[in-house]
Amino acid sequence: MTAADAISLEQATDDTPALPAETPEGYQVRLDVFEGPLDLLLFLIRKKKIDIHDIPIAAITRDYLDYLDHKTEINLDREAEFLFVAALLIYIKSQMLLPRETDMAEHEDPRQVLVNRLIEYEKIKAACSLLREREDGQILQWKRNFIPPLHGESELEPVELSLFDLAESFFLMMKRRSADETRTIRGRDVSVEVKMKELVGLLRERRMIDFLEYFEANASLEEALVSFFCILELVKSRVAVAVQDELFQTIRVWLRKDAHRTDHHE
Amino acid sequence: MNSPLKNIVESLIFVSQEPLTLERIQAVVEGVPAADIQAAVDELVADTAADGRGIQVVHVGGGWLFSTKPAFDREIRRLLQIERKNRLSSAGLETLAAIAYRQPVTQAEISGIRGVDSTSSLKTLLEKSLIKIVGRKKAPGSPLVYRTSDEFLLYLGLNSLDELPSEEEIAKILQEEKAADA
Repeated sequence: MTAADAISLEQATDDTPALPAETPEGYQVRLDVFEGPLDLLLFLIRKKKIDIHDIPIAAITRDYLDYLDHKTEINLDREAEFLFVAALLIYIKSQMLLPRETDMAEHEDPRQVLVNRLIEYEKIKAACSLLREREDGQILQWKRNFIPPLHGESELEPVELSLFDLAESFFLMMKRRSADETRTIRGRDVSVEVKMKELVGLLRERRMIDFLEYFEANASLEEALVSFFCILELVKSRVAVAVQDELFQTIRVWLRKDAHRTDHHE
Repeated sequence: MNSPLKNIVESLIFVSQEPLTLERIQAVVEGVPAADIQAAVDELVADTAADGRGIQVVHVGGGWLFSTKPAFDREIRRLLQIERKNRLSSAGLETLAAIAYRQPVTQAEISGIRGVDSTSSLKTLLEKSLIKIVGRKKAPGSPLVYRTSDEFLLYLGLNSLDELPSEEEIAKILQEEKAADA
């Protein structure tokens, strides 16, 4: 599976496969506009206005292979799926060429299995267009159970971090700090309760804090440690959530909108 | 007319974060016939659907819920600083449709219908809670069996799976597409 296949967060654009652009040298084919081999086959069948129940296998196989030949990029995972159907087409053709003792009865048509699959797939595709309409309508109606997504969201789904990731990030930062820490540590007591209140207050006010930035700003090592424990506690008790957009990027801490809710959907 | 029952129902729906069913309302307002509650809810739906309100009571997921009216989407997104709400990718939607119509169904069956490996689509749909695992199939390898979830109904604004586009509606779409091609 590739990123293109994955349910990425797609822009709200129309998603009808773009027709291959004819060029003097032939045409440029982008297989990724097709959801898969069945999608491509259906496209070819429609383009040639072929009756799905009576597919001229030789002709359609030629078209199909033509498409594969003209593809612009190679992606082994997807290729296998396309080639599998190519092999199936050729197999069906060979079955049709084989001499038989008796005339082929209707249910013995070697094309039948493929036709059934195509018809089923066609239905699912049509259902998709109806469901998409529903989705588009629903997306405009905001409901109370909605938790706003994080800002600056990229194509990637942010990863919710484990406490270990947080700890690792913290130690990394402390190491960096200790390198330039030459001052004597001032004796200032920082209590967990006070810091916890301060943190929640800060989260309420700013909605989000940058994990590393926050610690950089802490005056002393002791204070940083206490803050860190507070964040761990907040994440553990599910009051806050720590999110990293991508590996090795900064970690951001958010107040959970559903912090008071008990019925977490896992 | 403002019946106290209608006001009670409205407040119950307001605090509810998931669709509030008739049964649950009935359990709260003891001794009221279901027909009366239904009438109160119907009135509420009609009231809020009328112009002059920014929110409405909608019948979805087998119960009732408050939602904003579509016309104010832009302003809401501005408030929440959300540029756009993400739709499912076509691969995701296709996988979801295959599950919705063929459930209970295994990964191999879904991939068979689509002609494409659907493992990663399944994973994302699971993460989005639009589908759920309901068990294992008694077949070689005991593959996991998937179904759509309650969130799925909510996501598409359906009350039950019966409200999925019917065979006839699908046939109509196919007819139209073919007519457009010709």
